Amino acid sequence: MPAEDMGKISGRLRLIFSVSCVIFVIALAISPLKDLRREWKRYKRGYARFAQTRPDTKRLMADYHSGIDQIWIPEMGVVDRCTTCHQGIAQPSLAGPSIPQPFRAHPPIPHQVQEWGCVVCHRGQGPSTEVAEAHETTLAWEQPILPGHFIQGACGSCHRGNLAETPQLTRGRELLDRLNCAGCHRLQGIERQVMLGPDLTNIGTKVSREWIYKWLKEPRTITDADGNVKVNGVGTEDEPRMPKFRLNEKELVALSAYLSSLKPNPIETAKFDPRVLGTWSKKADLGGQGELRFRQMFCSTCHALAVSRAGETKMVGGDIGPELTKVGTKVKPDWLAAWLRNPQGYLPHGKMPRYEWSDEDLYKVTQYIQTKLTDPDLLSTVPQMGAATEDEVKTGRRLFLEKGCGGCHVVADVSPQKDFGPDLSALGGKNVSQLEFGASKVPRNLISFIQAKITNPLSVNPAGRMPEYNLTPADLDAVTMALLGMTGTPATSGMEKLVVPQRHAEFRAAGEFGKLYERYKCYVCHQFNGYGGTLAPDLSYEGSRATRQWTVDFLKNPQTLRPTLVLRMPQFNMSDREATIIADYLGMVLQHPSVNPAVIERSQFTPPMAAHGKELYEVKYQCQACHTIGSSGGYVGPSLNNAGNWLTPAWMEAWLRDPQALAPGTIEPRRSFTDDEIKSLTAYLLTLKQSGTGNKTAGVGRPAGGAGGQK
Amino acid sequence: MTRRLLAICVLAAVAGLCGCGKKSGATTADPLRTAYDSEADWNDPQRLIPLGYQQAQGKRIFYQQCVWCHADATPAGPSNRSNVTPAPPLFNDGSVLNGESDEYLQNIITLGGSALGKSAMMPPYGKTLTQDDIRALIAYARTMAVPPYQPAARPGPKYSEK
Repeated sequence: MPAEDMGKISGRLRLIFSVSCVIFVIALAISPLKDLRREWKRYKRGYARFAQTRPDTKRLMADYHSGIDQIWIPEMGVVDRCTTCHQGIAQPSLAGPSIPQPFRAHPPIPHQVQEWGCVVCHRGQGPSTEVAEAHETTLAWEQPILPGHFIQGACGSCHRGNLAETPQLTRGRELLDRLNCAGCHRLQGIERQVMLGPDLTNIGTKVSREWIYKWLKEPRTITDADGNVKVNGVGTEDEPRMPKFRLNEKELVALSAYLSSLKPNPIETAKFDPRVLGTWSKKADLGGQGELRFRQMFCSTCHALAVSRAGETKMVGGDIGPELTKVGTKVKPDWLAAWLRNPQGYLPHGKMPRYEWSDEDLYKVTQYIQTKLTDPDLLSTVPQMGAATEDEVKTGRRLFLEKGCGGCHVVADVSPQKDFGPDLSALGGKNVSQLEFGASKVPRNLISFIQAKITNPLSVNPAGRMPEYNLTPADLDAVTMALLGMTGTPATSGMEKLVVPQRHAEFRAAGEFGKLYERYKCYVCHQFNGYGGTLAPDLSYEGSRATRQWTVDFLKNPQTLRPTLVLRMPQFNMSDREATIIADYLGMVLQHPSVNPAVIERSQFTPPMAAHGKELYEVKYQCQACHTIGSSGGYVGPSLNNAGNWLTPAWMEAWLRDPQALAPGTIEPRRSFTDDEIKSLTAYLLTLKQSGTGNKTAGVGRPAGGAGGQK
Repeated sequence: MTRRLLAICVLAAVAGLCGCGKKSGATTADPLRTAYDSEADWNDPQRLIPLGYQQAQGKRIFYQQCVWCHADATPAGPSNRSNVTPAPPLFNDGSVLNGESDEYLQNIITLGGSALGKSAMMPPYGKTLTQDDIRALIAYARTMAVPPYQPAARPGPKYSEK
């Protein structure tokens, strides 16, 4: 029995053993078989076959081998196997849409694709060797490739400063800054400014409770369903800055009560010289006179107004200050007079310069604003609320904090609510699983998440506090790109070395000039050594460019030969002393290191040289294509009618030699003039003088060829 | 018993092999969504033309340097084109530019009009723009051209004659 049994058992064991062996052998055979059929191998073979059909087979196959190709950048932690399938990526002969993917060459870009690989810019999964896993979100690997439309976002991860080549990214960063996103969120490369939204410390002296109610319910600038931005119902290019908060009736009543109660520093009643009042208050067309002065002072350089011409209403004017079409209904008369006299007394960090007013001008302009820039129907839908009760004020203050108003607005006893919203400085590198979609229907990817958060935050998080921003589709995409570029502090120190940092410019004006620089807010429009606005010409080298006398004349009476320009230097009514201080400072301090106006004597330029220069100007180089002399010529560059009074000969010579060295990015092309030609052209330009005080000319203001406001 | 076991093994093997053959997820994408930038056709604002990186750089440089004389409307308002005689061709005018080779355009932008026997009002840009910038401009002009540009099989005749 046992022996028989033994034989039986061993027979069964043998069977199990042999079956297991078969399974094992099959299992072993599966892996090489599986490997034979890998997706990437198909593309490898496909490329080899494709290369045979091309005339330059030898070159295309020079680096070919049958294994996986890989680009490894240890500094960035990048392993990139994309070139395993995208084998023709660096083959110039495989460019163009006629070549099938994945073999097509990469279009020309500033980076070497063989060096950087693909995922640094396109994202996706570098180590993957399967199409779906490399390009899309899968269970194991989450980062999908960026659609080409958003690729500039990836540039932003390394290039923290603005690049000329990525205009949408730059626009997105500008919008994040202008829309005051840094008020509530921490962002990468966008600092929280001292003043974001208007300072509300004393808002109760400026506007009525009813106006605050109206504004909170329906901000002045809104975007319609088609993405058109409208201010007071008129189309504009400007983007809305105050977002829409979802406030109910009770909240509106309480917030308007609280804000209108903020008036710690009372405003004095406006006083005007009785003689001015006696003469002017009875004039029939007082508003019209004020409007004329308003225009002459070029308030529209910063402030837009809705203007009706030929049945069409358009916004005309700049966007540095607020739009003013209905401001007469908004502000209280005493506040207006006090503000115009000294804006810096109300808002120390504001952009409005302090003008030197005569009582007469001030009276005319305030009357114009109060009588013509009004809308009697503006507050007609606002309920009568009367004076604020203590309870309402208390509730309003609580709401002010709860809604995060202190993220952007300053109020005396509320500390700034920094970091009220989530930190976004590393949002661009987040995986889908790190985003809180909740139960929403938003597609599960980072781009959809960002865009839903901005346009309709409640769609992602019904309990969220984020206000709504109605951006145009192009602006929405630009903001998305800027956020995609915010990938946080680099994970490796090697990567840190590759990041191109943002450069911060600073300019501190000293002494008497420093005071005037703050008073007239020169930096709001002009640049000084890289710091300041871009609306008007860069003044970093103004001391080398313009003569002292011309500068004094211009500051006192800024005029231009371009009467059609809307954005021009305002008339500040400066005194002689102030104009001289500014001109002297510019001449002493703001000089180009290689252009010293003192070294070139005007007497060396003779009439025969000037005659030769005139011929060069008119015949050989035909400068009249872009510049005006007399009344003929083009208007791409500034008019040269008063060049002899305006520009120093040293500047003319240096400019003719190499304009970009003096003003990078200027549109005047660099020519190949000989030294003699430069002398002759300078001699000719020096003869161009306008009779009189010499202040009637020069293309200061925004030139027609206004790329960056350079001349 | 044995047969059943063997059958299971074979099935497992087949299933394992089948797992390898996955579909490739190539989908046809919207050209505007994959494009670096886009611009409306000058003659038909409804038609958006996708621009690659190079053409997008050309567009940027065009709107800085060229638009003032080679377009009828500029970012600053009216064009300077009417002040220039002879009138410069519009940048998208395929009827003029399609006949010129890339090399010819590269040369006239680099050296200026007078160097190639054309108007001296076209200044040389060889010291202002890089050769890559100029190539980008040409790529942009080709993309915007109306009628559309068809690349010639060999370099255009005008350049080799000069």
